[in-house]
Amino acid sequence: MTIPILQAEALEKTYHDNGVPVRALVPIDVAFDQGEFTVIAGPSGSGKTTLLNLLGALDAPTGGRVLFNGRPLEGLSKTELSKLRLHQFGFIFQAYNLIPVFTAVENIEFVLTLQGVAERDRRRRALEVMKELDIEALAHKRPNQMSGGQQQRVAIGRAIATNPAIILADEPTANLDSATGGVLLDLMTHMNQEHGITFLFSSHDPQVIERGRRVIRLHDGRIERDDRRPGA
Amino acid sequence: MMLLRLAWRNIWRNRRRSLIILTSVVVGLIAIVFIEAVVRGFMRQSLDNQLGTHTAHIQVHRMGYHDNPAIDRFIARPEVVDAALAADARIAASSRRVLATGLLSSARNSSGIMLVGIEPEREARVTIIQRSIVAGRNLGLEPREILISERMSRTLDVGLGDKVVAMSSTREGKVGSELFRVVGLFRTSIMEFDRVHAYIPHATAQSLIGAGAEAAEFAMVLHATTDLNAVRDSLRVVLGPEYEVQSYEDLIPTMAAMVELTERSMIIYYVILGLAMIFGIINTMMMSVYERIRELGVLKAVGMQDRMLFWMVLLEAAMLGTVGTSVGLVLGNALNAWIAVSGLNFSWFSEGLSSWGTGAIIYPVLDPLGSVRGGLLIVAMCVLAALQPALKAVRLHPMDAIRHL
Ligand SMILES: Nc1ncnc2c1ncn2[C@@H]1O[C@H](COP(=O)(O)OP(=O)(O)OP(=O)(O)O)[C@@H](O)[C@H]1O
Ligand SMILES: [Mg+2]
Repeated sequence: MTIPILQAEALEKTYHDNGVPVRALVPIDVAFDQGEFTVIAGPSGSGKTTLLNLLGALDAPTGGRVLFNGRPLEGLSKTELSKLRLHQFGFIFQAYNLIPVFTAVENIEFVLTLQGVAERDRRRRALEVMKELDIEALAHKRPNQMSGGQQQRVAIGRAIATNPAIILADEPTANLDSATGGVLLDLMTHMNQEHGITFLFSSHDPQVIERGRRVIRLHDGRIERDDRRPGA
Repeated sequence: MMLLRLAWRNIWRNRRRSLIILTSVVVGLIAIVFIEAVVRGFMRQSLDNQLGTHTAHIQVHRMGYHDNPAIDRFIARPEVVDAALAADARIAASSRRVLATGLLSSARNSSGIMLVGIEPEREARVTIIQRSIVAGRNLGLEPREILISERMSRTLDVGLGDKVVAMSSTREGKVGSELFRVVGLFRTSIMEFDRVHAYIPHATAQSLIGAGAEAAEFAMVLHATTDLNAVRDSLRVVLGPEYEVQSYEDLIPTMAAMVELTERSMIIYYVILGLAMIFGIINTMMMSVYERIRELGVLKAVGMQDRMLFWMVLLEAAMLGTVGTSVGLVLGNALNAWIAVSGLNFSWFSEGLSSWGTGAIIYPVLDPLGSVRGGLLIVAMCVLAALQPALKAVRLHPMDAIRHL
């Protein structure tokens, strides 16, 4: 049996909203393997963002633990977590992913800079990724000169440029119309099928959810269903 | 490199806010560079005039002359001193003087006087008296010529060519007197000096008071004032304990100390400006951090280390400071250079300045290097001011930041 990339063991999160405890996740156990294309579905407030943030080492659980490649994240320092995110995770947020003062290609280059990639390789790698995503034309545009869909595609470019083990995307299509969202999903599917990149994303949009090969349904902080569609 | 680019572009995001803070840095620096130069010019001029009018750089007297400036405390063998001075190449020129207090009278009036017996050509190389002549000419070869101040000419109500009588006590305690013809009028910027000094030929002065070949003092100027103490000390060794060798710092200690203190304390102006700047910078950087909370969260999420984020904010403040300071320094020094050509005319400020002995026109003295040092201090203070906003950025929780809208 192979070790899952990401694994949640009795993962729990309780927020405190002005002293009132809010149980966003009741103990959850779930694992994600290499090459998966998983969507986390669920209504608003069901805990999708909470789960993704915990899995992406952006937040600490109040119970249980997250394991990356079998290694628990608990006990890692802020710096170590930061390095883990930089080298192993790709992130796509709902909106405002990009640094406004950088052009598309600079945005992609920047994370490579953080990784310590040499200047010459950086530019080449960034353009390579943009070509793959067919967004070369956007290379020298700044975020405010791009549409929401274009920005999200650049964000995908930024996420895959660093060769992460897994890409975590919290409602990447939520701010897009359905056609644009569809294009984005095509792109993600393509990267998953052609390059074996592991995706884990959330959505409450049925059209998006049906594109997942594995669908995890959350409700009130617990996993209601976990379906795999091998044929899709 | 990318961090520099990021920081640089970030400061231009809110162009208006950056320009406001930059303008305040620039205006503040221009003002300080200018004020500093005027104050320096003022102090230097006042010292230079004092030195140039009479004190010079180093003086030699017979030991004890200052306690009792009597004829029997004159330097008995001036040629010994002359030889010692001639042997020191660091000395540019020297003058020997006879000094005698007395009374100067015209047909209409009289006034107390300090008669200075000089060899005109030597004195001209040491002091500015010859250059301060506003009417007539300097002393020539005639023994009965006198150079008085314009002010004295008014007191005595005499003009060029008029006769005056000088009286002074002689070595024997008698009263010596001599008739002089006014050949020139001088005006220095030191009112007090003009009130009492008059110049007569060296030999005439010696005979007037019965001083033989003796001299009261030697005054000399150096090629470089940096040699001041070295020359003084070596002259002390060469001349021995019979003589008193003093630098102008020994002769006019309060003034010399004040000039030095003023120049050293210039940095305080920059500190004060920096302190005023700090609040503006804190405010600017705080606002810019708050505006970017979400973006900073994304940066943290994708793996930007806190350390780097911290540097980014400091770098932004440093860039703001550097741009403002550079522009301010260039403009301030340019303004000074421009004003230094013709000087600042303070004559509207009435007689006030003349008692300071600076002259009515103050020439700002540039100290570009000093202003750069001050500018660096301001940049450093800008960076200091950004510490709190930078910490604020570091302490943001990536998740909260991303949620923030
Ligand atoms: N920082 C917080 N403080 C307090 N409560 C929180 C916080 N974040 C989330 N919650 C609560 O936790 C629960 C789960 O929230 P979460 O954001 O994970 O849901 P979600 O499925 O992502 O919802 P949406 O579809 O609206 O994005 C909700 O009840 C929410 O109100
Ligand atoms: Mg959510």
